[in-house]
Amino acid sequence: MKLERLLNVTAALLETRRPLTADEIRRRIPGYPERDDAFRRAFERDKDDLREMGIPLEVVIVDGTDPPISGYVIPPDRYYLSDPGLDPDELAALQMAAVMIRLGDSDTDEGLDAVRKLGGREEGVGGPAEAEVASLPRPEHLSTLFEAVTSRRAAQFRYGGIDRVVDPYRLDFHKGRWYLTAHDSGRDAERRFRLDRFEGRVTVGEPDAFERPSHVPGVTLDAWELGEGEPVEARLLIDADQVAPARAQLPADTAWEERPDGSVVATIGVVNVDAFRSFVLAFLDHAEVLGPPALRDAMVGWLEAVEAS
Amino acid sequence: MSGRITSSDRLRRILAIVPWVAERDGPSVDEISARFAIDRADLLDDLDVVFMVGIPPYTPDTLIDVVVDDDRVWIHLGDYFRRPLRLTPAEGLGLLAAGEAVRAAPGEDAGGSLARGLEKLADALGVRVGNDGELDVSLGDAPPATIELLREASRSGHQVELDYYSYGRDTHAVRVVDPYRVYAQQGNWYLLGWCHRANDERVFRLDRIQTATRLESAFDRPESLPDAAVFAAHEGDLVVTLRLEPEARWVVEHYPVVDSKIGPDGSITATLSVSAVPWLARLLVTLGPSAEVIDVQGGGAATDDIDGLAAATAKRILARYRS
Repeated sequence: MKLERLLNVTAALLETRRPLTADEIRRRIPGYPERDDAFRRAFERDKDDLREMGIPLEVVIVDGTDPPISGYVIPPDRYYLSDPGLDPDELAALQMAAVMIRLGDSDTDEGLDAVRKLGGREEGVGGPAEAEVASLPRPEHLSTLFEAVTSRRAAQFRYGGIDRVVDPYRLDFHKGRWYLTAHDSGRDAERRFRLDRFEGRVTVGEPDAFERPSHVPGVTLDAWELGEGEPVEARLLIDADQVAPARAQLPADTAWEERPDGSVVATIGVVNVDAFRSFVLAFLDHAEVLGPPALRDAMVGWLEAVEAS
Repeated sequence: MSGRITSSDRLRRILAIVPWVAERDGPSVDEISARFAIDRADLLDDLDVVFMVGIPPYTPDTLIDVVVDDDRVWIHLGDYFRRPLRLTPAEGLGLLAAGEAVRAAPGEDAGGSLARGLEKLADALGVRVGNDGELDVSLGDAPPATIELLREASRSGHQVELDYYSYGRDTHAVRVVDPYRVYAQQGNWYLLGWCHRANDERVFRLDRIQTATRLESAFDRPESLPDAAVFAAHEGDLVVTLRLEPEARWVVEHYPVVDSKIGPDGSITATLSVSAVPWLARLLVTLGPSAEVIDVQGGGAATDDIDGLAAATAKRILARYRS
């Protein structure tokens, strides 16, 4: 019954030429309870359900009402899918990608739902389990923030114990985590936020609220490159058998000097000394900080403290 | 499918099915069920509801006309529900993120169809993808040649020989592996396969493969693959309880812990299952004063190795600096 009512409300608000008031909806659309308070509750729930599904239910003041009365409408141009004009090979490639990469690990797979709406392949949309290459985490606020990025809406949330108002610029999935890069209005500076560290809810404002800068750098830095200050050029000797994993972890523009025994000396720009130490210690005794002396001494000092503990 | 199907789920499904059927000349019930991944019975239930939907005043000419005849379905309707509902943010993001992750992976988009499709889709959604855009997805760092070789060997059903560095045990070994599946997880690439050296299923991290060679010998893929967990606790593992200072909280986020709790002073008591002692040695020497071993269970003789493990490891590394 409720399903039928939701479908009828959607159809009526899509077709209407002027906003319908709650009272008109109650009178015209079958299936609402008789009593006032019961109707109010049912109608509130319906509105929430429709909005949660992405149906653009808008509230406007009905013309010529005084005192003003709210009316409801679903603008067709915001409801219907705008066709991106994909060629069949392009749609097939996107469909294959959606089979390979899943967002979240629940039963629903929104990537494949999108493919269906776009008119994907005729046969069942899916694929063998071994075709799945990755399932990306979907932190709670990911979709909301994505919408805020695409529609350029300001976002409010609590992070690091501080209430923030930001202009969200971009989302990055990097080393297994989602990050938001945004302009933090309270600090008047660009900041990066880890989505799994958000505290509580995210609320967003009106669309087109800010201009995006033409270029916003993404999350590509390694931990030891983060922080304030000038980088120090560290020289790290890596044994031959550890060269492959080291290459995969270090930035592509790292300078490498190969030695006759197959070991290498990598020159790495270090800002955060603690993060660099953790990186080096993961090699156990297969790597050695050669210089500069301050960095080498710090490493020796750390190890001597652990040795004495 | 499991879990409760809500009215919103059904509504979402119906709003996708109705325009698709309306645009076609009587697709079969099976065709629609397969395409929308829905049971036959559920589909017929949905169509029963659509039958009663329309716009005021709900006279026969304003109701949606649904005909199910000879196992085929026809839907006639007015202007509404003619086209699918726009993509929700979650759907747009799901497809864009998937497309961008695959596009950035090696050897996947030879013809460029994906890059073109992705650009059109991103355009329609008002964003740009990739490092210069607003949405960038990187599955992880591993040598592209290794990913490509292993994916190809897995697809064609050929064994591979790996020179592999075991991080946990800090040893190198050459092994022949049946490559079942290549996948990315938490920023790294992995191979799940049958290791003929261990005679067991094993997971290998691609950036720790020194060299990979495709062999001529074929292998048989098992009927069903096990869930690809990066780390699974085994019987005989050591169970180690650590007291961690607040700044070492990343350990709990990074590794699967058996149990963890936060004390009133902000310190964390975390219990981990440890399959190889060198792995723990590395963790302890990295954490230094911010971690303390408070309990060790199981593992038989290995338990004795844990006392003074951090100090002994530091001493071994220091030997390099002192020579």
